[in-house]
Amino acid sequence: MKELFPAKQVLGFAFSILLTVVALAVIFLDMSFQMGMLILLVTAFVQAGVQLIVFMHAGETEDRPAIYTNIYYGVIIAIVTVLGTLLTMVWDM
Amino acid sequence: MKMDHSLPLEYSTDQNKLNILGFWIFLGAEIMLFATLFASYFTLANRTGNGPTGAEIFEITPVLIETFLLLTSSFTIGLGIHAMRLGKQKAMLTFFSVTLLLGLAFLGVEIYEFVHYVHVGAGLQTSAFTSILLTTLGTHGAHVTLGLFWGLFIILQIKKRGLTPQTANKSFIFSLYWHFLDVVWIFIFSFIYLKGMM
Repeated sequence: MKELFPAKQVLGFAFSILLTVVALAVIFLDMSFQMGMLILLVTAFVQAGVQLIVFMHAGETEDRPAIYTNIYYGVIIAIVTVLGTLLTMVWDM
Repeated sequence: MKMDHSLPLEYSTDQNKLNILGFWIFLGAEIMLFATLFASYFTLANRTGNGPTGAEIFEITPVLIETFLLLTSSFTIGLGIHAMRLGKQKAMLTFFSVTLLLGLAFLGVEIYEFVHYVHVGAGLQTSAFTSILLTTLGTHGAHVTLGLFWGLFIILQIKKRGLTPQTANKSFIFSLYWHFLDVVWIFIFSFIYLKGMM
C-alpha cells in the first residue's frame, strides 16, 4: 500500500494545498490591490510549476529540451497576449 | 516494433515518445487559447453595464470546494500513473476512477454555480462581464466534460486489453491533459475569483 503513495507526489499535493491557503489570504486579510496581485501571481505560477515537474513528469526523458522549449514558448506567447492587452485596453498606455 | 525496456511502458516505443511530445505541443496551444480568454476577461471585467459585478455574485464556498476537488483529482491521477509504472493495473484503475468521480463532482458544483448565476441575473447576455466570465469558465468546464468521457473510455480499454505500450501511452497522455486542466483552474481561481473578491 505504501509504495502506491510516493513521498514526492504526496509532498507536491500538500504543497499545492498550502499555496491555495496562502492565496486565500488576499480576501481574508486587509491588504492593498498590488500586494494581493503579487501574492496571487507568486502562488499561481509556483503551483503551476509544481504540477508541471512533480505530476506531469516534464523533465524525465530525452525529450526534455523539446518539451520545455514548447512550454516556455506557450507561456511567453500567453504573457505577451495578456500583458499587451492590459497595456492597450486596461491601463490606457 | 522496437521496445526500450529501460523506460516506462508509456515511453517504450518511438511512436509513444512522439505521441507524448505531440501532446505537449497541443498543451502549448491550449495555454495560448486560455491566455486569449484571460486577456478578454481582464479587458471586460469592469464592463458590467446594468448587471452585477464579480464581487456581488462570487461566493467563496463553492469555489473552494471546486478547487479542492480538482486539486485532489490531479493528485489521484498522478498516483494512478505511478501505480501504472509499478504494473499494478487494479490500483491504477481505482485511482483513475476516483479521479473521474472527483471530476464529476467538480462539474456538478460548477453547474450548480452556473444555475445560481443565472438566477441572480448574471446570464450569458447580461453584460460584457458576465458574458466573458461564463465563456471562460465554460471553456474550462467543457474541457473537464470531455476529459470525463475520455478517461472513462481509457478505463474501459485497459479493462479489455490490459496494460500494453499503447494503453499505457494513452493513459499517460490523458493524465497530462487532466493535470493541465488543474493548472488552468489555479489561474481561474486566482485571477477571476480571488481577484474579483479582493
